[in-house]
Order: sequence, then C-alpha cells, then structure tokens
Amino acid sequence: MADYANPKVLVTTDWVQEHLNDPKIRLVEVDVDTKAFDAGHIPGAVGFNWQTQLQDQLRRDIITKDNFEKLIGSAGIKRDDTVVLYGDNNNWFAAYAFWLFKIYTHEDVRLMNGGRAKWLAEEQRPLTVEATKVTPVEYKVDQVNTDLRAQVGEVLEGIRSGVKLIDVRSPDEFSGKVIAPPGMNETAQRGGHIPSAASVPWATAVNQDGTFKSADELREIYFKKAGVQPDKPVIAYCRIGERSSHSWFVLKYLLGVEQVKNYDGSWTEYGNLVGVPIER
Amino acid sequence: MDHTRRVYNDVFEMLPGPENPSPLVRINAMSVPGATLYAKLEWMNPFGSVKDRAAWAMIRELERDGRLTQERGIVEPTSGNTGLSLAAMASARGYRSRMVVPNKVPLEKKVLLKIAGADLDVINDNLCPSPGMGDGSIGLAKTHARAQPDKYAMPNQYENEANARAHMETTGPELWRQSDGKISHLFVSLGTCGTATGCARFFRERNPDVKVVAVQPSEGHDVPGLRNKSELHVSALFDESLLDEVMEIEHELAYTRALDLSRREGLLAGPSSGLIYEGARRYAERDPGAVPFGVMIFCDNIFKYVSNMIKHMPELAEGTTA
Repeated sequence: MADYANPKVLVTTDWVQEHLNDPKIRLVEVDVDTKAFDAGHIPGAVGFNWQTQLQDQLRRDIITKDNFEKLIGSAGIKRDDTVVLYGDNNNWFAAYAFWLFKIYTHEDVRLMNGGRAKWLAEEQRPLTVEATKVTPVEYKVDQVNTDLRAQVGEVLEGIRSGVKLIDVRSPDEFSGKVIAPPGMNETAQRGGHIPSAASVPWATAVNQDGTFKSADELREIYFKKAGVQPDKPVIAYCRIGERSSHSWFVLKYLLGVEQVKNYDGSWTEYGNLVGVPIER
Repeated sequence: MDHTRRVYNDVFEMLPGPENPSPLVRINAMSVPGATLYAKLEWMNPFGSVKDRAAWAMIRELERDGRLTQERGIVEPTSGNTGLSLAAMASARGYRSRMVVPNKVPLEKKVLLKIAGADLDVINDNLCPSPGMGDGSIGLAKTHARAQPDKYAMPNQYENEANARAHMETTGPELWRQSDGKISHLFVSLGTCGTATGCARFFRERNPDVKVVAVQPSEGHDVPGLRNKSELHVSALFDESLLDEVMEIEHELAYTRALDLSRREGLLAGPSSGLIYEGARRYAERDPGAVPFGVMIFCDNIFKYVSNMIKHMPELAEGTTA
C-alpha cells in the first residue's frame, strides 16, 4: 500500500494526546461553529475565529501579512513551533487555516486526522473550558507564497488553457439545484459550476470516522476517476474556500500534486460575476 | 394514585404508564377499508409528547446514580421534544438544563425550551453531506458534558438504554392492555429509535406475531426528530432486526397528512404523525384485511409546528392579519 506523499503533515489523536505538554507543539482549533471552542477544547489549544480573525475585516480577502503576524504572535506561537490544527466539520476551517499558514510560509504545520469529531468520539480524550495562557511573542513572516492561491483571472484563463478544475461542493450545489448549503449566509446570484470543472465532493476523501482515506483510495478518486494529473496544474474551489482547502490539502500533501491551488473566491465570487460562462 | 379522578400531587404523577395510558383513538374519516387503525395520542402526556417517557426514565436513572445535583444539571442534544420534557422536569426538580438544537428546529420549539427554563445552543447542522461529520448537536452537547463534568450530565437519548426501556415498560404494556392483546401492527417513526426498539422488544416477548413497522421520511426532510436511515448511524438504539419492515415516505407528505388529520379527524397531530399515518395507510391498502388492529404512535401535536406548516403551505398565513 502506498503511503501519503507527505505523511508528516498528518498527526493522530493519539499523537496529540502524547504531546499535550510539549511546549514546541502548539494546538490551534478553527471551527465552522465558532461557539464550539468556548464550549470545550483540547487543553492547551488556542482558538481562531475564521470570520473575524482569519479574514480581512474590510475588504474580501485573507488577512494581511501584518495581521497574520499579529494574530500568530499574540497566540504565543513562534516561527519554529509545530502548529497542529484541528476543528469541527472534518477540519474544513482547520484546513483553511493550514493553507493560510502555508501562504505565510510557516514551516511545520500539521492537521489532526479526524478533527474535533474524532477526538470527541474517543471517550478518554480530555476537553476543557479553561483559557490557555499564552505569552505573546514577536512573529515575523519572511516570505509569502502566493502560488498556493488562485485568483479569478487565473481561473478564467484556466478554463481556456485546460487547467484541471475541481469543484468540491455537494452534488446539489454543483448542479445548481441549490446555491449554498441550507442556512448559509454567503451566497451567489447564480447556481451551477465553472465550465469544465469535475465534481469531486470534498467528503469523498474521508472515512466514516472523519479521517482521510488511504493513499491508494485517494489516488483512485482523484487520479483515476477525476482525471487529475499529478504533474499538471489543478485548481480546487467550493463556495467560500474552506471545503476546497480540505481538498487542496489532500491533493498537495497527501497525493503530492505540486501545482495545486485553492481558489478561495470560489462560487461566492464566480457565481456573482457578470458575463462569465456557467455550466449546470 | 386514582387516575379516574385525575387529581394529582404533582405533575410527575400524570406521566403515562400501564395504569394511566395515553389515549388510543380510532381513525374514522381517514380509515382504510378492511383495516382498523388507532392513533396513540402521545401529546396527551403532561409535557406534550412521546418523549416524556424517555426523559422521565433517563432523569430517574441519573438521580438514582447521584449524577444530578444542585450544581450538576443536564445537557442534551434535542430536536425539541426530549429537550422540552427534560427541561420542564429538570426545572421542577431544581436542576439546570442546557439544550443543543439544530437550527432547522422550528422557532416554537426553541422558544418553548427557553420557557421551560433551558439554556439554549442553536447550531447549524447538515452544512454539506459528509460521512464523518457526525451530528453537530450531539457533538456540542458531548463537548459541554466532557469539558464541564461538574456542571453537566448528559442523558444522551441516542445511546441510553433507559430510553428503550421506558417503552418496554410503559408504551408496550399500555398497548397490550388497551387492545386486550389484539394489537396486530405497530407503526412507529425512527429518531433515537427508543420507541421502535423498546416496543419491539416488548412484543417479541409477549407476542412475536405483532408486526412492528417503522416509517421514515425520504432524504432531505425537515421533520424534526425523525431520521432517515442514512442519518441513523448516531442512534445506538436502532436495531433493524427487531423491525418487520422499514417504509420510506416522501417527506412532504408529513405536513400534508398532518393537515388532513386536523381537518378530517379532529386530531391536531404533528408532522411525524402525518408521516406515520401515510405509512400505515399504504401498508393497510397494500394487503386489505391484513391489519385488524393497527396502532400508530402519534408523537406530538401540531402546535409546535405552526412556522413549519406555513413554510410548507404558505396559504395558511393568508388572512391572518387585519
């Protein structure tokens, strides 16, 4: 059985429990449901709010380098620390934060396989409501890796040049039956998908317990069925860029696809554009 | 207790049991030729639903184990009915309660939980189909219970055997007595599966010929409390081997049939009852004469679903303002 391309980026719940008191291992929880962290988190973890802390609060964008430095420094995370991310909904926003850490070139970032749900499903795992004491540090980003991010111009060019587009939303969003999952505020003027995109819902990459499928299974899904070529450019998108971060993580780190980008503008940008082609 | 005079020392004495069964009412205008169907009106229970039974059994068990105190109350994931029973019971017995409900639960139920004294967490479930996501409300309730064990005990109706046992000890024996042992079919819905599993265990012992038929809504439904089989992985009490048949009904009919039951039978039944009725009706029509004494568990009444009814039938809101 083949191993993941970068097995080091995934840690197990056992590994996290063994490293709870390791000062070089910093746990960060990022949830869709921003109430979850306050209700109980892994001892020692800090929580980031994806809406107010990971996005620019004025324009629609990821947080700036300056604000990233402030946020990470205020959480007491050092540039050479190992950051372990986890969260609810199968690590959707944990993967988004992972992507952000990589854009700002933090070296050692990992995901806890299975996320919050797996930790919770294992009876012996501790949770606490106690705030983690942190000592703020100065955190400096020396380099920004914009190659991990696709912006709309690149997507439109990609349609013409045959870049592989992967739509990771649910089948009903892909077909245009719904514009967004029920109850979601961020939406679009039109339903459907970007022309030529292949539908590979993010959830096809995970097992029932929330962990990632094996490398062999993932190869079958992305390489054989969806037609991803490991040495060719790929762009993943969803609605606001969090589910596609999850698939981006799978493609880049578990399958070793070098030129994969996350289009975080996703459907809430594309489905609002005037005059662009849409397929249903 | 003298149930004929119906004078009680406290509300708990009104809880149902073989000596004080919830009513069985025969279906008339909507009857099926060749079949006799009865509705068991669980909304006649003191806190308004079938969930009084499980809630009471679970609270009693927590009390017996010394797990409820002035400091330690209850946290529970709920679509409303279990929460309402638990919250009202907890308030009356001096315990705090916190209920975690999915956002799709109708406003009436959320407000009722607060009226009954519960703290409320509302969360967005079912964002995008996912195998590993589990159930958000169950997850958040478990989080509270594990992070603050001194503050919360979690009955966990999805895994608590007391839930099924309550039906083995009350619903089953009630039905046996009320029908003079003639009950031939029981039609139930699936949620925690406490009713289905508890009643089925009772009948397997008492008379294995009694058929237990589960009625589930089609996928994508918005019938609070019910689960399609694809959502049943969270229900540890689900045991398909105890069921004679699982029928799937188009979920929109839950609300249509609930309206029919109100207008044609005078039974102000909620959507899960509407769905169960439709299942029982189809079952009885399929094989005329095969259902001499069928009982449908009507879980609750329509009062908590006014906003959902309007969502499905916008015309109900017409003419309601001056």
